[in-house]
Amino acid sequence: MLNPTRVSQGLYNWIEDRVPIQAWIAALLHVTIPRSAHTYYLGGITLFCFTVQATTGILLALYYQPTPETAYNSILVIMNQLNFGWLIRSVHAWSANLMIVFCILHLLRVVVQGAYKKPRELTWMVGMGLLFVTLGFGFTGYLLPWDQRAFWATTVGTEIAGAVPFVGDFVREFLRGGADVSAATLTRFFGVHVLVLPVVLAGLLLVHIILIHEQGLADPERGDEA
Amino acid sequence: MSRELESRAPREKNLLPFWPHYVLSEFIAWYIILGILIILAALFPAGLEEPANALQTPEHVKPEWYFLAVYQFLKVASVFSFLSSEAPRLIGILLPAFGMALLFFLPFLDRAPKRPARYRPLLLLLTVTTLGVIIALTIWGQYS
Repeated sequence: MLNPTRVSQGLYNWIEDRVPIQAWIAALLHVTIPRSAHTYYLGGITLFCFTVQATTGILLALYYQPTPETAYNSILVIMNQLNFGWLIRSVHAWSANLMIVFCILHLLRVVVQGAYKKPRELTWMVGMGLLFVTLGFGFTGYLLPWDQRAFWATTVGTEIAGAVPFVGDFVREFLRGGADVSAATLTRFFGVHVLVLPVVLAGLLLVHIILIHEQGLADPERGDEA
Repeated sequence: MSRELESRAPREKNLLPFWPHYVLSEFIAWYIILGILIILAALFPAGLEEPANALQTPEHVKPEWYFLAVYQFLKVASVFSFLSSEAPRLIGILLPAFGMALLFFLPFLDRAPKRPARYRPLLLLLTVTTLGVIIALTIWGQYS
């Protein structure tokens, strides 16, 4: 009979023979952090919110239909007919708000602790990029239900972008895909929300985490190495 | 570079292992957030208003809460119309954008050599003031 322990040990040895998993795990996990470093889990919770968004977002994308004729009804189907559809969409909406809240709290913690100081300037700037992408997620996602609130919030939001000097008119038309919020706006917001922003966020996140891993956590009590 | 500086041998006792100590407490935090998310979603499910209608403007049109401060500031900036007809728009958009740019380059603006907040009172004061203004604008935007 097959012994599960021996099978998994054999499988592990087979892989370890080819790639150094042991060394990778050691390099990723077996690092130390200063005892006095207090992150309050704010960045980690933001990351967790993103994984929740990715999971619930993929599930929603399986049923959502990004056209003005069908978007609203597909939301009604998700809310009223699919098993736990209401829960998935509600968690997606709440997690979106919490992600922005924890992004801001994480930023404030880094400001108060001065953790952005040398050598962590790059981590800070990549983090600002992550904040902008997160706000972009919120802005594009808000339109997708295609109800009155979504439509008019986007009308007003793109109007704000239109107030930018010199390039405002171009930016507004670029965001809307025309003069007004229309079917073209809905498809481009959907495309940006589910294709462009996830890739950009994943890339920035990878850089953010590699930098943290390479430099370690800032010790708030030791600020004299700069 | 800094980790080598910070983790020199004599300071070993001031260090904690990332695994499992930090990871375990991080997972507990995630688990609590997941619980909060499900409770919030169950008690306050995501709403849905009437279908979008381009011909019927609702009474109170607002962006999401995280854009309200900028939106409200843009409205309030109309007081600068005495400068020129273009001034409200210019100030209403450029000032928040300038603030964001300052925040982006913060590591190069805050040159204080020490990290602890008690050595950087001016920056702390600025942070609290800015935060207060943003929160006030958000609340103002919500109730106007």
